[in-house]
Amino acid sequence: MPNRLVCRVADVPENGLKECEVEGGPKLVVANAGGEFFGFQAVCPHQDVPLCEGLFDGSTLTCHMHLWQWNVRTGAPLGLAEAPLQRYPLARNGDAVYLAGEATALDVGELFHDLAPATAEALGALARQERYDAGEVLYRPGDPADDFFVLDAGRVEFLIGRGDRTAPGGFMLKKGEVFGWAALLDGHPVRIASARCLERSSLLRINGRSALRVLEGDPAAGFVVMRRLAALIARYLASSGAR
Amino acid sequence: MRIQVNARNRGYEFDAAPGERVLYAGLRAGIDLPYECATGTCGTCKAKAVSGRVRDGWPQAPGRKFVKPEAGEFLMCQCVAEGPLTLEVSKFVYAMEPGACVPCATSALVSRARRLTGDVIAFSLALEEPRDFDAGQFVVLAAPGLTGFRAYSMCNFEPRARQLEFVVKRKPDGGFSEWLFGADRKGERIELFGPIGKATFDPGLGRNLLCIAGGSGIAGMMSIVARAARERYFDRHQGWLFFGIRALPDAFFLEELSAFRREFSDRLQMTVALSDEDVPASARCDWPALSFSRGLVHEVAKRAMAGKYQNVRAYVAGPPPAVDAAIRVLLLEAKLTTDNIRYDKFS
Repeated sequence: MPNRLVCRVADVPENGLKECEVEGGPKLVVANAGGEFFGFQAVCPHQDVPLCEGLFDGSTLTCHMHLWQWNVRTGAPLGLAEAPLQRYPLARNGDAVYLAGEATALDVGELFHDLAPATAEALGALARQERYDAGEVLYRPGDPADDFFVLDAGRVEFLIGRGDRTAPGGFMLKKGEVFGWAALLDGHPVRIASARCLERSSLLRINGRSALRVLEGDPAAGFVVMRRLAALIARYLASSGAR
Repeated sequence: MRIQVNARNRGYEFDAAPGERVLYAGLRAGIDLPYECATGTCGTCKAKAVSGRVRDGWPQAPGRKFVKPEAGEFLMCQCVAEGPLTLEVSKFVYAMEPGACVPCATSALVSRARRLTGDVIAFSLALEEPRDFDAGQFVVLAAPGLTGFRAYSMCNFEPRARQLEFVVKRKPDGGFSEWLFGADRKGERIELFGPIGKATFDPGLGRNLLCIAGGSGIAGMMSIVARAARERYFDRHQGWLFFGIRALPDAFFLEELSAFRREFSDRLQMTVALSDEDVPASARCDWPALSFSRGLVHEVAKRAMAGKYQNVRAYVAGPPPAVDAAIRVLLLEAKLTTDNIRYDKFS
């Protein structure tokens, strides 16, 4: 695919933000961090506020509405933010900035973003892209928890309990969200919830044991991923006061 | 009316009384549903009906611009369930922590009302049952014969409070303020829901306090300073309060601010910022315990606070432009982390 123009270098002041529409493609907010350019989804994942109206100090991007913040290099959430920004890799060529490919669900995801390239590649090689129709069930309570999933597109909901005694267990809707993480934990051999696609969905399926072996080979990445996983699990267990 | 909420992390069920707004029913049940203004402006309490029907009590609410009614979206603070309702909230929702001041719906009598300036009235409500609230919280009030709630922060603080104290600024089309200014309302009964609001102060915080208030945004700051004073917080920590008004005749609470300042003279500084006039020579004679400065409140605070932001927690309240400007200073100049900036925007 030919490189698509995002903006001119002069369009975005140093340590400034600008909303740009890629030719035939998505709207982005482009940040100029000391001459390096970073592109993200144009609106805040919280309440659709344009991020170009936000605050930017050269390293942290802040949505002015509710003070969600992100690392401008990675889109990783900081502080109050509850979701990462979808990142679009940009490349500078002369006085123009181009879209350089699209980040995968693993790249933008909450667990695996910004790992060493070799490790990211090894994890990517384990991922099987799968597509499901609305209503299809991915797993049920008691099924073996061998694989975990990374949402690429669509929507997946969870039900806790069996038969007609069930309770809603939340839902996933953002690219890069990880579920079925029992596959990464010791002592959790089976599913405790059912997972069902609410709409046509695209997922990455990754074998838990294989992913752990890759991370054992890069303990620094393994440590980062486990810290993120602990934070993710804590978020599901937290009370409002702890946040 | 049975209501089920599916949130990003889990589900909740609770009951709503007939006519009770979905948001208030959930909060009353100890479920910390998302909200900010709770009165139809901010759009934070947006939800989506999965099954069942809602009736919108205020289709013209400014916050409606954040929802897509054709997709089943609605504001929980304005809508009532018309039968069993299942709704979806695209946020993480948690149960309130043990010890939280869980809000309830009640009514109270106007026990006192006095005019502080040409367009500001202070009034008190007498509660039938004593209530706990956190310093910085607010309640929503509905006057007799008026539909819709308005949010007002408490000015006072005490455990098991029997009185709630407020200030109200007169607004041209503000239903509640017009009602209050229209006649002597002592003895009238008002519908109330609360306490709610998260821009709260607890003395366990252990940080220096910076309060920036525009106009009637001073209300919640009075509660925070009252709570801190009560616990002698300023024996251990610094406090700065900036109160922005247009001109000295618009000022109120200067007596109360002076008293706090005299009690903790070295550790608590009170500055009145006048945006529309130079500081009159009489001001410093009349209010020797207070400082006065010309400028918008966020500019005055920025000048006075330079180099003093270590270990600071900031509270900001007032009209949205004043709050936004102050937050900009606190993030970009002061480099405070976002969890140390608590704010209420009144619209």
